[in-house]
Amino acid sequence: MAFSLRILALTALVQAGALLFGTMAMAQYTPVPPRGIGAALDVGDQPGLVPPADDEVDMDPAYRRQPVYFRTSEPAGTIIISTNDRFLYLVEGNNRALRYGIGVGRDGFTWQGLVKVVRKAEWPDWTPPAEMIQRQPYLPRFMAGGPGNPMGARALYLGGTVYRIHGTNQPDTIGYAVSSGCFRLVNSEVIDLYNRVPVGTKVIVRQAVEL
Amino acid sequence: MKTLLTLLAGATLALSAHGAGAQTLKAVKDRGELNCGVSRGLPGFSQPDAKGTWTGFDVDFCRAVAAAVLNDPAKVKFVPLSADDRFPALQNSAIDVLSRNSTWTLEREAKLNLLFGPITYYDGQGFLVPNSRKVLSALELDGSKVCVQSGTTAVGYTEDFFKTNTMKLELVTVPTSEEMVKAYEDGRCDTLTTDVSQLFALRLVMKKPADHIVLPDVISKEPLGPVVRQGDDQWFNIVKWTHYAMLNAEELGVTQANIEAALKSQKPDVKRLVGNEGNYGEQLGLTKDYAVRIVKAVGNYGEVYERNVGTGSKLAIPRGINQLWNLGGIQYAPPAR
Repeated sequence: MAFSLRILALTALVQAGALLFGTMAMAQYTPVPPRGIGAALDVGDQPGLVPPADDEVDMDPAYRRQPVYFRTSEPAGTIIISTNDRFLYLVEGNNRALRYGIGVGRDGFTWQGLVKVVRKAEWPDWTPPAEMIQRQPYLPRFMAGGPGNPMGARALYLGGTVYRIHGTNQPDTIGYAVSSGCFRLVNSEVIDLYNRVPVGTKVIVRQAVEL
Repeated sequence: MKTLLTLLAGATLALSAHGAGAQTLKAVKDRGELNCGVSRGLPGFSQPDAKGTWTGFDVDFCRAVAAAVLNDPAKVKFVPLSADDRFPALQNSAIDVLSRNSTWTLEREAKLNLLFGPITYYDGQGFLVPNSRKVLSALELDGSKVCVQSGTTAVGYTEDFFKTNTMKLELVTVPTSEEMVKAYEDGRCDTLTTDVSQLFALRLVMKKPADHIVLPDVISKEPLGPVVRQGDDQWFNIVKWTHYAMLNAEELGVTQANIEAALKSQKPDVKRLVGNEGNYGEQLGLTKDYAVRIVKAVGNYGEVYERNVGTGSKLAIPRGINQLWNLGGIQYAPPAR
């Protein structure tokens, strides 16, 4: 399940090892903390990483798309994102919703309220914003859409913000807050969501309560 | 004179009633340990490990009460009880509180002289189907072959539900839950039905759990919660407000991790919860910071749920109807003020 994370940790170790000791025989990897409420993960974007096919198959069942009981006064078709417990709900009416597991941004994203889907794109290109380049200088300035692109298979652009709902090339970051990014779903599920919602869909973003 | 005597008798009665009423809290404090009745072993709800350490959703409720009353979540004697033994154990005072996935019904309260609630877990009968059926709602189950455990209330509920919604039903009754899974995997039925929490547990033992889905529809009411004896209102209040403290903590964003920060919060609701404003804990017969001790010991309601039966557990039961009232569910605590 944590395949690409292991890869990342290994890569980092090997790089550090190569630098310091020439070679590195350590086969260890950073233990992955449990997912869920408040869970965060210290992992950067990995442009160019193509996730192994079984990564999505091994996905934690709690974060797979599933119909759930959901009571709301919002009309069917509305998307409600609960950043605190890492779920995106597509309201279906009659006290039910489709629930998708998501990964959320960790730094600085405290905005909450109502936006709309203003644009949809398949295999979107990626232009990391300046703040991200500053945090992760190794990122490319532009990357064309494709399987190794951190934007993943589909993107729903949220009007008036720099944020979007998109796919990922790191399926095992679902269930966590990660160092950057907006709302990420695994590719198979963002494709499913993309096919269900039109441009103009209402998106409500909820944040954790502040003390 | 007669009036005076009546008055005196009345006062004595009132005093003794109050005296009897306050016994459980005093008894627990004197004993230094809470006697908590739990299930003998139910994944996610109460289970002992090899070393005899109990964990689970119902177990954490016992620990929360112990933290509130005795300032130590470890001071609990877990009393494993069968379904038949659970209510007598409460009636004969072998336990102080029963926290054993017990359904609240009229008869159990009125006839057995017990008090139920609050509802810590809303369970109910649901359906499990293979993903390959592409079914997302129980109303799409027309013509299903449904496996159900014989002798359970699920049989009648299933028949009623299909009849009410004009769907054709083929019932396949099997004697045990293990055989229910086998019959389903052998293709003798294409749908499983029992309580939702149980469906998630059964899914775990299937060959490919990810190939099956539990539908969100719940067709019966199984409200589960702690139970106490009648006649001790103070103790009943303590049990109720233990659950409400956990719910209010979640609603206010107070967690095990940020409890120290919560103690410095300037928000009035948070200040009341953690005991920095008012003396609400003392009104219950506890101390002002009883809610802080609960959250430190087991976390807020959401944390307890996710750790034992939700995203942090193998069961992975969605919060669903047990989500907070303002986030899509019906878990609702009165204000702590």
